[in-house]
Amino acid sequence: MRRKVLNTVVVLSVLLTSAPAFAQVELGGTYAIRMYEDYIERGPGSFLGDFTGMPMSDEGRAKALRYSSSLPSMIERQCLAQSPWVGLYRPLAIRIWSEVDASGRVVAWVMAGDYLRDTVRIWMDGRPHPSPNAWHSPSGFTTGQWEGDTLVAHTTHVKTAWIRRGVGIPGSDQSTFTVFITRRENLLTIMTIQEDPIYLTEPHVVSRVWEFDPRASQGPLRDTCNVGVEIPSLEDTGEVAHYLPGQNPEENYMVRTYNIPKDAAMGYAHTLYPEYRKTLRSVYKPPDSCGRYCCGWIERQGLPGAAPGLTCNDGNLPPALRKTLTSSER
Amino acid sequence: MKSTLFLTILLMTAAVGAQSRATQAPVSTARADAPIDLVGQWVAIISEDWRWRMITPAKGDIVSIPLNVQGQQVAEAWDPARDEAAGEQCRAYGAPGLMRGPIRMRISWQDDNTLKLETDYGVQTRLLRFGAATSPGPRSWQGFTSAQWIVRGGGRGAPRFGSLKTITNNLRPGYLRKNGVPYSDRATFTEHWDVHSLPNGDKYLVNTNVVDDPVYLQAPFQTAIHYKFERDTSKWDATPCDARF
Repeated sequence: MRRKVLNTVVVLSVLLTSAPAFAQVELGGTYAIRMYEDYIERGPGSFLGDFTGMPMSDEGRAKALRYSSSLPSMIERQCLAQSPWVGLYRPLAIRIWSEVDASGRVVAWVMAGDYLRDTVRIWMDGRPHPSPNAWHSPSGFTTGQWEGDTLVAHTTHVKTAWIRRGVGIPGSDQSTFTVFITRRENLLTIMTIQEDPIYLTEPHVVSRVWEFDPRASQGPLRDTCNVGVEIPSLEDTGEVAHYLPGQNPEENYMVRTYNIPKDAAMGYAHTLYPEYRKTLRSVYKPPDSCGRYCCGWIERQGLPGAAPGLTCNDGNLPPALRKTLTSSER
Repeated sequence: MKSTLFLTILLMTAAVGAQSRATQAPVSTARADAPIDLVGQWVAIISEDWRWRMITPAKGDIVSIPLNVQGQQVAEAWDPARDEAAGEQCRAYGAPGLMRGPIRMRISWQDDNTLKLETDYGVQTRLLRFGAATSPGPRSWQGFTSAQWIVRGGGRGAPRFGSLKTITNNLRPGYLRKNGVPYSDRATFTEHWDVHSLPNGDKYLVNTNVVDDPVYLQAPFQTAIHYKFERDTSKWDATPCDARF
């Protein structure tokens, strides 16, 4: 009996005095997109020649300016949009689930939600990253650990892929990503810091918000990296859609449309910081009118659009649908 | 024997409880209880929405913001000359618009329970107040902000983490965007502040925030804004409010 008591005391001592294990936050579920940032980039797609907010190297800029909208139609280049963290630049919901071992311990968190890429698997079991010479995949190789309520992930072994959608800004296969994933109440915040010694001059930082929603739609299911030829004239011709250096007709699109200096449009790092406004102050004049995509969020989300006569009536919706939306009470 | 076991458990529970209270006892102020360090100078990295944050977009450019029809009508009626004439050139520098602006901010402790947030852009000051509510005073561009640490871990030698949650109201009507996209005096601005560090010593502050406005928004306006910690504070450039640029 005395031994029993002793054992009990020992067990209780361990239970009561040991430091508590860190509880992981439950990330599992579906999260609806909230495109309240960079709507044009994530919705209809960036304007050609719009590299604003990017810290690009000369090599990156030169490569981006060779981009043509016909390039993704080539079978061998259709997967260039497939980056592990492309979801931050896209208009779709995301879904997260855990993979557990026999004891119930989380071995990996898996993130899906965009047909342009495979799932991202964040290994939580302490395994090391592969050799630098190991195979690079469209999803890369990602490990993670909890720091408080934030899951911190590190991605390596990616393939060359465009950073933003529809505009050709390149990220090389030497890119690495540090990612901070925080779920707080119903909001999920993901911040990515992409470093690329080839095409970026400093880390490229993006932070986005999703909202937990069990009914969030991820859109139609499609194969990863759609390979349908969209421009038949390119098929089997051997031609690579591109612009030669200095011949991209959209190189000055942002300058002539929005009156911004060319170094801002062309993604120089110094244009990302407040002190650049000293330069802007003397040269920038707001456009007389908005032009395209003035109120895209409202119409794309299916919520009531604008009242008659307002700028938002820019024709993004069929008239019948517009009438239905604006007359309904929500 | 049962009574011995019961007594042992009772004594151990009391001892652990006492230990827990002992470790918690000195924590009496927000400054002492801070699970993260926000103090210092932070600069906004304008890598998102550059054309709407770094410069003043055209009137009527409300893309990305879930305005209702009334909000759109107000945005369409934006007139910076009228704001200047009314002495309201700081409308785009209220807390919900300011945090998304091209700012540098300095955060410091004004006292043990008040964080002070100053910006060079618009020369604004906001106080983040911990503890019991005080009188909010008259409405202002920065409103009244109540603050609360969200603390995780820290018990019996475990690592201590956390974040800051703030709620701001009592705001004067202002702009979410420099071109007159409005929020009303009924708006509530909720922020979650997280600090993330990299192995190379770089520190980032992420402000996940929600603007709720029953007057001009048809849905909560949710964004995340990121800032980088600056050890070199020489780029601080105090500039007054400007209704046009």
